[in-house]
Amino acid sequence: MDARKRDRIATIVFWGIGLVTLGILAFIIIEIFGRGLITALSPSFFSGKPEAKQVGGGIGPMIVSSLYLAALSMLIALPVSIGAAIHMAEYAREGRFNNFIRFCLDSLATLPSIVFGIFGLTLFVITFRWSYCLLAGAFTLALLNLPILLRGAEESIKLVPQTYREASMSLGASRWTTIKRVVLPSAMPGIITGTVLPVGRIMGESAVVIFTTGLFIRTIPLSPFDPAAPLAGYIWYAQTEATVLDYRKIVNGGAAILLILVFLINFAARRFARFYAKRKQLEVKF
Amino acid sequence: MNGNGHKMQVKNLSMYYEDFKALEDISLDFPSRRITALIGPSGCGKSTLVRCLNRMNDLIEGSRTEGEITLDGQNINGPGYDVISLRRRVGMVFQRPNPFPKSIYENVAYGPRLAGTKDKEKLDFIVEDSLKKAALWDEVKKILRESGQKLSGGQQQRLCIARVMAVKPEVILFDEPCSAIDPISTQKIEDLMAELKKNYTMVIVTHNMQQAARVSDYTAFMLVQEQGEPGRIIEFDDTNTIFTNPSDKRTENYITGRFG
Repeated sequence: MDARKRDRIATIVFWGIGLVTLGILAFIIIEIFGRGLITALSPSFFSGKPEAKQVGGGIGPMIVSSLYLAALSMLIALPVSIGAAIHMAEYAREGRFNNFIRFCLDSLATLPSIVFGIFGLTLFVITFRWSYCLLAGAFTLALLNLPILLRGAEESIKLVPQTYREASMSLGASRWTTIKRVVLPSAMPGIITGTVLPVGRIMGESAVVIFTTGLFIRTIPLSPFDPAAPLAGYIWYAQTEATVLDYRKIVNGGAAILLILVFLINFAARRFARFYAKRKQLEVKF
Repeated sequence: MNGNGHKMQVKNLSMYYEDFKALEDISLDFPSRRITALIGPSGCGKSTLVRCLNRMNDLIEGSRTEGEITLDGQNINGPGYDVISLRRRVGMVFQRPNPFPKSIYENVAYGPRLAGTKDKEKLDFIVEDSLKKAALWDEVKKILRESGQKLSGGQQQRLCIARVMAVKPEVILFDEPCSAIDPISTQKIEDLMAELKKNYTMVIVTHNMQQAARVSDYTAFMLVQEQGEPGRIIEFDDTNTIFTNPSDKRTENYITGRFG
């Protein structure tokens, strides 16, 4: 078989694989929107209060719970993971200890979320006597996302060219000043896009919220110590536990809303990273 | 040498990376307001030596020095010597132009801002003055807010020189400043160095012997005798003597292009 023919076959095969992937994704999206989009877009559903005993309940407080939980959790996890990433990338000596930390982080990243859920239940809900609340969920999810955020931030920091650090130090900047003024601004777009996956994980997480935040509420949570019912957990609850007759509608509509929310957050994070890069005049591609 | 004094002096310097000895028994004086060139084949330790002069090697784990390097008579490796003030007094231009991913203005203002200059007018003045000294002002005065990384390679290198100027150093180290840029930009940088000689002590590492002959007053020839041995100074004299009447055979062989 000559090279040109082989090349053609390879091209067709890889195109095919690409198309199949795209096809599966399209199928999932069409399926979810087909079943739930009409419900999702009706104001009485996405802004209404849920019902415990009758049909026609909405999921307003659940959407708020999800967003509130994601924001709170990232607020806890981001500073810690960026700080730790700075330490690992800029200060710590490469060697056994650093590799051991990385091994632990990677192991932690693959731990099933239900384990984190039980940990959060034991520590925050029971031992700390916080009861089921947003903060318990936020801390638990922060722990869940810490490894992936940290590794992402570390990679972004390491991608900053060494020549920037040299230039800065040669002008009389200390190590910390160099990090603050040159390294972090350059790494920031990468760190921002690195939050997309963890936020998506928070939005989709049900095991953790079942154990830490609660599953059903009728009023919008305000304080971090209020109980909450994030959407993914509520979908699970509506499907398996709820006694309302229109539970299928709630499940399908909720799934469509979840998908829309994740799309929006993903889109916004990318736009923000690009805007930031442009404002800081960084040459980065997304 | 001549009577205008030595800005920096290196005495019996040896330098190590972990167990590897990179430089051995280097003794060299850098006269004030003169340009000293370091020449020699790749890997002879020229860059390592200039990086000792502003302690950039400190950034490399496991590096250490023996011997003495003085700036205005003070040992820069002495206990309690402030490395930050050293680097402000001994500026450096690198092999590859390395402007920050910031605007042209912010690149030049970086050093003064570090030193705590916040006043807008003062910064404006320093930026303009430094860019003029680096012979870049006319080309960039209308695009100061654009990214320094959008400039051409030669302009970027002059931006890096302006960035050093803004810190008001006394000594400027050039580590093969023209190896990554075109001949016309190289010419501009050489002219610039000749101009800057009035006020600054300069050290240039170069691969290019014509460049050393053109710009420098003094030249040190360095060499690694055998693979794995440390770099040593073979000969140090005024540039004219090195290039027309070297006293060491090895210098002559290198100058005449017989190796390296």
